[in-house]
Amino acid sequence: MTKKIAPRQIYLLLACIAPVGKLVFLPAHLARYAQNDLLFPALVQYLVQAGAVFLVLLLAKRGMSFYEMLENTFGKIAAKILICIFGLFLLYCSFLPLLEQQLFVQSEFYDTLPSLVAFGPFFIFSVYLCSKPLSSFGRTWDILAPLAAAGFVGILLLSVGSADFGALAPAGAAGGSGFLQATAGATSWFFDAAILMTLLGKFEYRKGMAWKGTLCYLAGGAAVLFFLATFYGIFGPLAFNQLFGFSKTSKYFAGITVLGRIDYIFIYGLALVMAFYVALPLQGGIDCAVQAIGEKKYLRTFLSIGANAVLFALLIVLEYRMKDVLSVISGTLFWIFPIFFLLVPALSLLLRRRRREV
Amino acid sequence: MKFKKFVRTIPMKLYVLLAVVILFAFFSNDFGLVDIQKTAIILAAAIDKTEEGFSLTAQIAVPKGSDRTTGGTSSVEIEAEGKTVSDCITLIYTKTGWVPKLVFCNLILLGEDAAKADMMDSLNYFLRNEYMPDTCLLAVSEGKAGELLSSQSAIDDASSLAITKLFSDAAQKSGKVMPCTLKDFAIGVYGVSKSGFLPYVRSTPQQGEQDGGGSGSSGGSGGSGGSSGGGGGQEPQQIYSADQTAIFSDGKMVGLLPREQTFAFSLLKGKVFAGTFNAMDDGQPITLSIIKNNGGVKLEAKEGLTAKFSIDLLVRLCCRSTSVPVDDGLGDTVPEKILQSAKTTVEGYVEDLFENCKACGCDLFNLKQSLYRSSLKKYAKWKDNFLPSVSAETKVEMRTRK
Amino acid sequence: MKTVTGDLKKNLDALKKLLPADDILTFEFTSDKGLKFAAVFADPITDKELLGEQVVRALKYFDGKPTAEAVGKHITSPEMKREKALDKLAAEVLAGNPVLLWEGMDEGIVVGTKKVFTRAISEPSTDVAVKGPREGFIEDVKTNTSLIRRRLKTGELKIEMIEVGRRSKTFVALCYLDGTAVKETVEEVKQKIQEIDIDIVPDSSYLTHFLASRPYSLVKQVGTTEKPDIFCAKLAEGRVGLIVDGSPIALTVPYLLVEDFQSSEDYFVPPYRATFTRLLRLFALIVAIYLPAFYIAGQLFKLQLFPVKLLLTIAGSIRDIPFSPSLEMLLVLLVLEVLNEASIRMPKYVGMALSVVGALVLGETAVSAGFVSTPAIIIIAFSGIGLYAVPNLIEQTSVVRLAMLLVAGSVGTYGIILLTAFILLYLVTTENFGAPLLSPFSPIVGKDLRDSVLKYNLGSLDTRPKTLKSPNRRRLK
Repeated sequence: MTKKIAPRQIYLLLACIAPVGKLVFLPAHLARYAQNDLLFPALVQYLVQAGAVFLVLLLAKRGMSFYEMLENTFGKIAAKILICIFGLFLLYCSFLPLLEQQLFVQSEFYDTLPSLVAFGPFFIFSVYLCSKPLSSFGRTWDILAPLAAAGFVGILLLSVGSADFGALAPAGAAGGSGFLQATAGATSWFFDAAILMTLLGKFEYRKGMAWKGTLCYLAGGAAVLFFLATFYGIFGPLAFNQLFGFSKTSKYFAGITVLGRIDYIFIYGLALVMAFYVALPLQGGIDCAVQAIGEKKYLRTFLSIGANAVLFALLIVLEYRMKDVLSVISGTLFWIFPIFFLLVPALSLLLRRRRREV
Repeated sequence: MKFKKFVRTIPMKLYVLLAVVILFAFFSNDFGLVDIQKTAIILAAAIDKTEEGFSLTAQIAVPKGSDRTTGGTSSVEIEAEGKTVSDCITLIYTKTGWVPKLVFCNLILLGEDAAKADMMDSLNYFLRNEYMPDTCLLAVSEGKAGELLSSQSAIDDASSLAITKLFSDAAQKSGKVMPCTLKDFAIGVYGVSKSGFLPYVRSTPQQGEQDGGGSGSSGGSGGSGGSSGGGGGQEPQQIYSADQTAIFSDGKMVGLLPREQTFAFSLLKGKVFAGTFNAMDDGQPITLSIIKNNGGVKLEAKEGLTAKFSIDLLVRLCCRSTSVPVDDGLGDTVPEKILQSAKTTVEGYVEDLFENCKACGCDLFNLKQSLYRSSLKKYAKWKDNFLPSVSAETKVEMRTRK
Repeated sequence: MKTVTGDLKKNLDALKKLLPADDILTFEFTSDKGLKFAAVFADPITDKELLGEQVVRALKYFDGKPTAEAVGKHITSPEMKREKALDKLAAEVLAGNPVLLWEGMDEGIVVGTKKVFTRAISEPSTDVAVKGPREGFIEDVKTNTSLIRRRLKTGELKIEMIEVGRRSKTFVALCYLDGTAVKETVEEVKQKIQEIDIDIVPDSSYLTHFLASRPYSLVKQVGTTEKPDIFCAKLAEGRVGLIVDGSPIALTVPYLLVEDFQSSEDYFVPPYRATFTRLLRLFALIVAIYLPAFYIAGQLFKLQLFPVKLLLTIAGSIRDIPFSPSLEMLLVLLVLEVLNEASIRMPKYVGMALSVVGALVLGETAVSAGFVSTPAIIIIAFSGIGLYAVPNLIEQTSVVRLAMLLVAGSVGTYGIILLTAFILLYLVTTENFGAPLLSPFSPIVGKDLRDSVLKYNLGSLDTRPKTLKSPNRRRLK
């Protein structure tokens, strides 16, 4: 299937699916550095990212893929090199969500710590997923978006009654350094604009799409901010230690003592969406590689097997150094992210608008 | 050509391989994981301080066979000693061959010694454990927690089930008990106020009957390892109560709220809807029943710090000790005189409660946290000498149904 | 290609060579004027009475020129055609139509006096409706098309007969409403049917393989029905239908998964009731597929899926069971499938006994003997019943249930989530004849949702499903 993605599906991706990736480690990370001020770094990240999303959607007006734009301006060879670099960045982006997913699975799907092999089946799914062209995923988002929204709303409904929103006061308690540390670290969870770059040319720009898309993204962001407030309201000073935020806030609902863990319905619903979301940057990376090499039969499948095998191997090798990995990605190397999700779209606006005559 | 055919059949071969792997995993049946048949489902844990470190008594549910005809839960208590709580849990595994799982642990009892030392030493293991629900109830026991947990309950098969009944919603509405979960306690201790409270559980032997009841309970572990309850002869069955409250500062138990102060604390939290309390009427005790309760504590920070306690109660007459004619025309309306007496009584409880907490250095009402949330500047001014700087103002409104 | 010559004997010899079977008979007779005729026919499938009445008796007094035109005028059968090619004549004989040859003519006449064996029209056993029409298709294509004609009295109803099967020469009736069905779809179906080069077509299910875009897929891609009212409703929505001679099951394309959650009765009861039952079917199917899997995953990997009291009950009941929880569940499931299979195939009177043996003796004694636990039997029984809430998908869903069980027993709840994701992705990317399988949910088609798992009032269903891209959108004016 090589049909175009509908604008509606792009909106659903931005409003419902992109926020899912911000619910696992990010709340605890923000609480660690910004404590009760955790909403501010998240808000800043969302505003910056929304700006980047707006830029990318403006680029969509040209009706060309990112690779075509590069090729149009710099020629074939340079375009191939640049798109490969962009693809590598997306593979790099995919590592943190994968890490999150792996720890989440070990913690929330098992009663005792399973071996890493238990996460192995994800890569089988991921290989299959990544061997399909990105453009065939619009329809998946049609199904996943309501699922994500229902899961999110369900969890919030069960959680909000247990939250003490007063815990968010006083503003500014974490101080400037806490805010900066939290903001810088949070950058690693915000690369939605970069993913959107890989979708350029796979959907048609409609009038007002840039604004609508940005508003959808901000609406998703508002939901995440509300979740962060609830999260901190529930855990307060313990929030920094609650790694899988979205799976923990709802268990304090009074009805759970009677009915059992009904919140798992929503948690597992979100986990299903996450399985797709986690593989999204990976798919984007493989799509970039395919564009650089040129579409060939089975190429996507082989690349998918290769990329997933590498990532699985990395997870195994780094199993006991997760904390270090996290601190490198979200600490030392956080600056890589804005280069690709903000600077690249901004500079892409300067690329040649008209197709080069052949 | 052959290569092309090989490539074309790769997906089918992969599916077959996948199916074989899944079948293998299915029949070999684990990833080194522990299924229900190898699991010790811990219902409750009791922690005591020992010279070496800790003693942990786990109450483990013992499933009844499929031929069972009676309901209830059988349990067995296993005790283990170690330098840390984690050591103790591991020891239970080695003693029983069952892998202890804490996912259903709904009660942690701490012995008085453990509570007076730094509680968080004992609780950190549970807080950090991803497989332990932080919704579990926490309580301090009089004396040794292990002994209390191993005792035979007069009202339920397992002592832990009898104790958790003390913390039910209905019990909370009576105002006689203030339960607390592991998460709430940790939030209090790690929060700005660094204070908390836990119900204080005591047991008393049931008078009269010495045996019977408790059909499934096995007070001791038999040969399986060191239960403090196993002693051969019939143990007296116990009745548990938790109408006193232990208060904590910096994670250590610093005092005990008697029954009246626990009640006042409940009233201030505004949780009492079906409680009763006694007032005096011409030297005779009279019981008032609470229909509606609003309560709260506010901190006013001006020249000094004032804690403003407010309680608003709607009460009705419940019981007099002296006989009163049925047609005295009052019904369940409380006369003004008795309302005043009741008001004075409750005010007294609240003032005693505050003084007790202040004396113990426990910021039970999270006043420091209130100050922190309202103004960082004022917080900085008073944070080092906070509790001694706080004075109290109590306002009790007592109304009756007319 | 051999053709008929003027020599009757040679022609008969040639035909006999092509049709050496014993039940191919030749009836030779001479007219009053001395012209020699021969009727070649397949004994069991030719209506000899009609042959005698319409052909032999009519030609007895034939006195015209021995041309095909003149002979044809004397034959009183309404179905008749002229043919020169011997192999085609042989094929007609095999189809039950006698071939008439006579001396001095290089052409034969095929007479339509085929004997048709049909059963009476009855209510189909798979599509039972309490309210609504009860007629069902039978094995005869002509009867079936007549049932459709009776419901769609319009010239727009086109029925094209295509012959499929090298040996069976089965008639396939391609039905559609001209101007309502998409032309490209009609052409595509026709082309796919014509391209089928297969030996025999014993049933319509043979064609589904050739019509599917993913032929090896577990997923159903062609709609099936046994009821003419449903068939006509589908044609009226813009679908293309296929009726295969010899099969009571008609096919429709494009197929949407949601079709199988709808029943004809939904259109004859109030919409709120129809919506409720559709949601119930969906719920039953989800529970039937997932319940055994989650039960196993809970016991093996995530005890928290059960409330503590239920867990203790389960733990108590499985304590003395010699198998692991997953193996126990697999065994019970397999026993259920065996019982199910056996009860369908067995004669009815034995089937009743089998149900008693299966349900009471096997279940009860297996529990008392400690082979299996009571919760396992309850779970599988509920799952077994739930699966039949959507009977048209039973072949697919029972396999999915088994797969879920295997994955749950090996990887746990995460395996269930991943397999669900895999199935979802597969379904979403499947489309046939231009219609996505999961439409109107993916892609979301707002107006089509009104008759999906939900069922709006008939007045709101004023247009045909957008997914089917019918050129004639409006159906309610």
